Amino acid sequence: MTANPSSFDVITTTQGQSTVLALRGRVEHGAAFELGALLDSVIERHPDELVLDLSELEFVGAAGMVAISNAEKRLSDLGRALIVRSPSVLVNRLLDMMEIAEETRRELALPGHGPLGPEEEGVPSTARDEPLPSPSSSDPRRVMALPAHPDVVDGALRLVVELARAFVGGADGVSVSLLRHGVLSTVAASDQTILAMDADQYATGEGPCVDASLQGHWFHAASLETETRWPSFTPRARALGIKAIMSSPLNAFEQPVGALNIYSRTAESFEIKDQQSAAVFAQKASVILSDAGAGVSETQLASRYKEALRSRKVITLATGIVMEREGIDEEDAFSALLRQSLSHGDLLRDRAQKTVLSARQPEVGPGRDSDA
Amino acid sequence: MPEQPIDVLDAYRQSAGLSHGELWLRYFELGGMSTGFELETFLYGLVAPESHDHDVIAHALNERFTELGRDHPVAYERDERDERDERDSLDS
Repeated sequence: MTANPSSFDVITTTQGQSTVLALRGRVEHGAAFELGALLDSVIERHPDELVLDLSELEFVGAAGMVAISNAEKRLSDLGRALIVRSPSVLVNRLLDMMEIAEETRRELALPGHGPLGPEEEGVPSTARDEPLPSPSSSDPRRVMALPAHPDVVDGALRLVVELARAFVGGADGVSVSLLRHGVLSTVAASDQTILAMDADQYATGEGPCVDASLQGHWFHAASLETETRWPSFTPRARALGIKAIMSSPLNAFEQPVGALNIYSRTAESFEIKDQQSAAVFAQKASVILSDAGAGVSETQLASRYKEALRSRKVITLATGIVMEREGIDEEDAFSALLRQSLSHGDLLRDRAQKTVLSARQPEVGPGRDSDA
Repeated sequence: MPEQPIDVLDAYRQSAGLSHGELWLRYFELGGMSTGFELETFLYGLVAPESHDHDVIAHALNERFTELGRDHPVAYERDERDERDERDSLDS
């Protein structure tokens, strides 16, 4: 933490009908109010378009994200657009989370490419003449999910907790539990009561948080007064004034690795839309965890890569066999395999396996598919 | 024709609950040749993939949707192109 943690600069420029705010530095908790006031003052002047250029921004906390989200709401009420230019991977994820009710346009930075203009077309149907960005990008995280440092992940999850608390109706406290080395612990909690709530569940070995983390299902205790599923834990929660709990599983590489827990001091306080918001936050937090390779041991990761290599090899072999049989090129052969797998309802690798096996038994003859 | 958002493939990825890393691995598994970084540029619609590459991505997503008990929502490009070619050859 620096002596002046909340320092950020803003450079305001006008480009045609757009007002561009380039943020530089760190927007920590104390500076969020300042950022909000600045955005309000710009919005007062009704720009056609407000561009937030984050390429020089080092850090933005949850309060800053909320200021950006509020600005977006005000602009969208005015029928104007907010464009966020060059957000970092993390900011981009957080913006994804806050898109529950609204849409923000994102312009991601690409090396050697200017940000896309607002008039850019939809998905192009013909190949463009733009060169591919350099494949020698040195960021290994972009190539495959490698485990990130736990501190980075915990920091991101703390932001998720703050955001969920601010956005989910009925939420009085939020926490994230994670399984690390087989042990469940709280990595982010909005206050001490919530921390105690989680600890009570770990101690009794029961509760929605434990069940969601281990079973990978969603648990909702609408009223702890009438709840019977967790007899040891429930009285402890009631003693701390907690009346309702929602726990959504967090998954990485399709396995449960933890839970997003939302607590309320009022029974029946989570409405359908709040339950949906909780599910969205949990899904986005799962993406952060997956990207970070959380909960996946190196052995599991290695075996997953081995499996992928095996499938790839079978598919390549099958493509070669179809090329030889049909006298077609590689891409047509792949398309033919793809169509076969779709028409038979097989996974592509299973279809490819059948093709490879059929090539080993040529005397069986006409049994092979002719719909290629 | 309604205009599709530029990052339609990434929207499918999110709806399939896959991280970029997981989707890349599935794409690689099916024979995809692009790096993770290139894949992201395709997903965000910043660079248009070749039809073949597009279909590998589409199929990786569709197989995931099948696991989730859903239909195959992502359209293939080469199918459409082949059907067009067939129609053209029938017309001529």
